[in-house]
Amino acid sequence: MESVILAASECDVEAEIICAPSDVLELFEFTKPLFSIGGFDFTRTVFLIFLAMFIVLAILYYGLRKGEKVPSKFGAAVESLVTFVRDDIAIGIIGPEGIKYAPYLLTVFTFVIVGNLFEVTPLINFPITSRMAIPAFIAVVTWVIFVIVGFKKNGLHYLTDLVWPKSVPLALRWLVGIIEFVSTFVLRPITLAVRLFANLVAGHLMLSLLLASGYIFVTAIPDVGLKGFVGVAWFVFGLGIYLFEIVVAVLQAYIITLLSAVYVQTSVHPEH
Amino acid sequence: MIEELAGPIALVGYGLAAIGPGIGIGIVVGNAIQAMARQPEAAGMARTTMFLGIAFTEALALIGFVLFFIA
Repeated sequence: MESVILAASECDVEAEIICAPSDVLELFEFTKPLFSIGGFDFTRTVFLIFLAMFIVLAILYYGLRKGEKVPSKFGAAVESLVTFVRDDIAIGIIGPEGIKYAPYLLTVFTFVIVGNLFEVTPLINFPITSRMAIPAFIAVVTWVIFVIVGFKKNGLHYLTDLVWPKSVPLALRWLVGIIEFVSTFVLRPITLAVRLFANLVAGHLMLSLLLASGYIFVTAIPDVGLKGFVGVAWFVFGLGIYLFEIVVAVLQAYIITLLSAVYVQTSVHPEH
Repeated sequence: MIEELAGPIALVGYGLAAIGPGIGIGIVVGNAIQAMARQPEAAGMARTTMFLGIAFTEALALIGFVLFFIA
């Protein structure tokens, strides 16, 4: 946000051209790491990853620690979160054997939801899932899990049924096979990662642009006069988007967990 | 007039890529709402399936989004 404001202060308001970044890469600043340990660079994103990890650990630890006969209100809330992921997502989608995958799905759900909610956390305002590395890593782990489960449950039939489906007429079989192969092994992980990434990048950009431009216009009222009051409308619109982004953050965490479960389910029961 | 237009053609490409998924998501959500209204007791199942349908339909728009960045 500071960089947007800086860019606008260097902007020539007298000229007719509206200030726009010359290259889209300017929107993605690549800052220097604060320090490095053995080749690992510690940037703000890395700190926020660890912060998200500690928040998840703290919530789960204090919510589910043993020794309390009657769970507190907080404990009950955490329990309902865990049972939601276990019963509604893992068992509800995959079936009774889905309980094996509940820990992984809970990990993804809690980490992604905390990472997404950093977008609307005051003073942080940066979703770590808008860095492609994190959704991509989650997608790769999901990919490895569903491929391994597919080969384990069905043996080589997993691959042969996919590229040579018996239920399709012979003339079309090769075409359907190619489409199925590409969509299962290539497009699934890509779309899983890009869906999360794109939603969070778009939300972050929208919030930054609306709130920053509202701020700039309102502070420019002494210079440009009444025209600057349009900034108030933008600021209010930005606050509306702020509420919308909370919904998006929770929904995208739910969707990536749901789709991970569905992909595992298609490997467990392929002809379903 | 065409000569006056400037800017990356990838923007137009993303706009075109968003048309189909836009229509598709409309159909998915509309039918899910209809299903929920007809059978409110099955609303939970319809909602889960709706999110799945949205997620699969969205894929084309997402590929367009990626192409915008790499084009």
